[in-house]
Amino acid sequence: MKGMMGIIVLLLHFLLTATFSAEPAIAREPALSRDLTALSDDARSCLGCHGKQGVVKKFENGELVSAYVDAIKFQASAHSFLTCSQCHTEFSANTHPSRRFRSKKQYQIASSLTCRHCHPDEQIRGKPIHANLLRGEKEGKLSLCTECHGAHYIMPVGGGKVFAAEEQYCLRCHGHALSMTFRDGTPQSLFIDKSILQGSVHNKLSCWDCHYGFSSEDHPKRTFSSKREYSIASSDSCRRCHFDKYSKTLEGIHYAMLSKGNLKAPVCIDCHGSHSISRGSKDRAVTTKGCQQCHPEIYSIYAKSVHGKALLDYHNQDVPVCIDCHKAHNMTQTHTLDYRERIPEICSSCHANKAIVEKYGLSTDVVKTYLTDFHGVTLGFYKKERETLEKPARPIAVCTDCHGTHNIISTRGTDAALLKANLAKRCQQCHKDAPKNFPDTWLSHYEPNMRSAPLVFIVNLMYKIFIPILAIGLVLQILLHIWRYSVDR
Amino acid sequence: MMAETTVAQEKRIRRFSTPRIVEHWLAMLTFGTLVATGLAQSFFSLDISRWIILKAGGIDTIRFIHRFTGVVFLVATISHVAIAAMGIILRRWQPSMVINKNDFMDAIHDIRYYLSMENSPAMCDRYSYKQKFEYWGILTGSLLMVVTGLVLWFPVVVTRFLPGELIPVAKALHSNEALVIVLLIAIWHIYNSIFSPEVFPLDTSIFTGYISRERMIREHPLELAQREGVRIEEIMEQGKGLHEIGSEEALP
Repeated sequence: MKGMMGIIVLLLHFLLTATFSAEPAIAREPALSRDLTALSDDARSCLGCHGKQGVVKKFENGELVSAYVDAIKFQASAHSFLTCSQCHTEFSANTHPSRRFRSKKQYQIASSLTCRHCHPDEQIRGKPIHANLLRGEKEGKLSLCTECHGAHYIMPVGGGKVFAAEEQYCLRCHGHALSMTFRDGTPQSLFIDKSILQGSVHNKLSCWDCHYGFSSEDHPKRTFSSKREYSIASSDSCRRCHFDKYSKTLEGIHYAMLSKGNLKAPVCIDCHGSHSISRGSKDRAVTTKGCQQCHPEIYSIYAKSVHGKALLDYHNQDVPVCIDCHKAHNMTQTHTLDYRERIPEICSSCHANKAIVEKYGLSTDVVKTYLTDFHGVTLGFYKKERETLEKPARPIAVCTDCHGTHNIISTRGTDAALLKANLAKRCQQCHKDAPKNFPDTWLSHYEPNMRSAPLVFIVNLMYKIFIPILAIGLVLQILLHIWRYSVDR
Repeated sequence: MMAETTVAQEKRIRRFSTPRIVEHWLAMLTFGTLVATGLAQSFFSLDISRWIILKAGGIDTIRFIHRFTGVVFLVATISHVAIAAMGIILRRWQPSMVINKNDFMDAIHDIRYYLSMENSPAMCDRYSYKQKFEYWGILTGSLLMVVTGLVLWFPVVVTRFLPGELIPVAKALHSNEALVIVLLIAIWHIYNSIFSPEVFPLDTSIFTGYISRERMIREHPLELAQREGVRIEEIMEQGKGLHEIGSEEALP
């Protein structure tokens, strides 16, 4: 079947290439391969010439069309009982007039009228797709039967039964190997695997809950130029129920890209699938695979990180996947101060949660020690200043500046000197002339103790003892003074 | 320290010269600013701290004010030490603030007095042991604050010559010592110069430069005796007339 520009073509035929099929006619085919007795005498005489390869018809515009008819396939067709002349009315075993057509299209239009002798409008109108095409004919848009059904190898359409559920109604046709072609020429299978449909979270929905506009009465013609355009348009269907998610996507970076004309930006079905749609967050590794399709470099970096390794090698479901930091629907641009200021918050959603990190021997102090130190305090105030004073802030070191983002590795088991050297380089990005021992100024997320920072610990301890003694001593002296004064009076 | 006024029996006695009064004002203002901006940073999570910082225009502004005031404080502290040292070296001033054996004896005496084991408080010279304790406490604390403050301001420069761990040590010292000084001022100094029954409602001598003779008899008898060229017993004799310790208004 060849697609025609300006027409959406829906093909309704069974693939004959499959050797085994549910259809008995095809199953029997090998046994009958050389036996053409089922055909009429008339047909057999035509096939004397047209059954050989190389018979060609040339149209006035120069188009060449093969006039070859595969006898085996014809015999397997629904029309095998017909003679050739019943469709090619001007031809018979005796007459073979020379006819002139401007183009293949003109010839096909002429032949389509032949079908209507046996298949009048009243008969074919019963199918929604025909009803729609017939409406189109009234408006002057001709549809060619052969576009969908083929010519010589027309197959019987099974059924005639009434299905209770619309799903079954649609699957009457779409349960078979249908296909169509988009305007750009890419073919698209319209076959729906019922088992996939039943396994999806949408198995309680009807087909036309998503494919709205379609029903047992109607089957509108769709004229999408490409599969991508169709996929993007299909998101509108999702919006009708999932409006909360849809409105989140409006803030997202993918939607912004899409609205700027980048059709590669993902829409609902790119991540969630369409007929096979499943509940999210079952296996977090699957989610990351979705992102990988467009972001393979970042994925491969992530896969080597401490989080990625745990997820992919050990199926650890605690570790963050892409959407935990970037969010799923309203993912935002990460190179903004806004996002940067949120990073400690993002990391602390796990690293300040004892239930999550303690089983890996990680301390929840990491967040606290950051937030109470110079960088953390500054960041906190910058955030508030931007909110209340609308003051532009400078970027300040957050978790990812030292630990990295997608490439975060564990600090355990890494040589301390190497860690320090790497850290010094990071420090120098802001503290221009910082010397090599500058990382020592940072207490490495530890609350000071005798092992990690003995001097700091001792100083704090001494003051912890001295300050109360001083305060008590002074107050005592004051009380004694007042007491003696009142006694003297 | 400056004691030029020597007219005997004068009701009011000059205790502080104008430069000392200016010095106190300067110390008071810079100290107040440093405490407000410093404690707000130290206790950043309190609502009051947030209010102060945001009202001042943000954390950068607060840090700027704190450091700028710190520089003024540094200059004031150093010039105070330098002037005092010069005054003592050139023999223009008595080393009246230097701690000596008598201060320890006075402290023990006063404790015995508070516990009713003595009938009168210790006889003090120009500065009592309490005043010396406070002075030296705050002076050494201030020097520590100035040094650690500079370390925290220029960590990159410091770590070029010294170990990196000194930066968090400086931070621990700076914030803890700040509390010590604040305690000294808030409890001790405020009590002694405002709430103590002997001076209530306010010891005005550091603002006016003058102190009453009665208070001198009670609080600094040794200095008064030396100033008036009389023996200490004479001063003590005069003091017996003052039955009521406390403000001079109570006298007949």
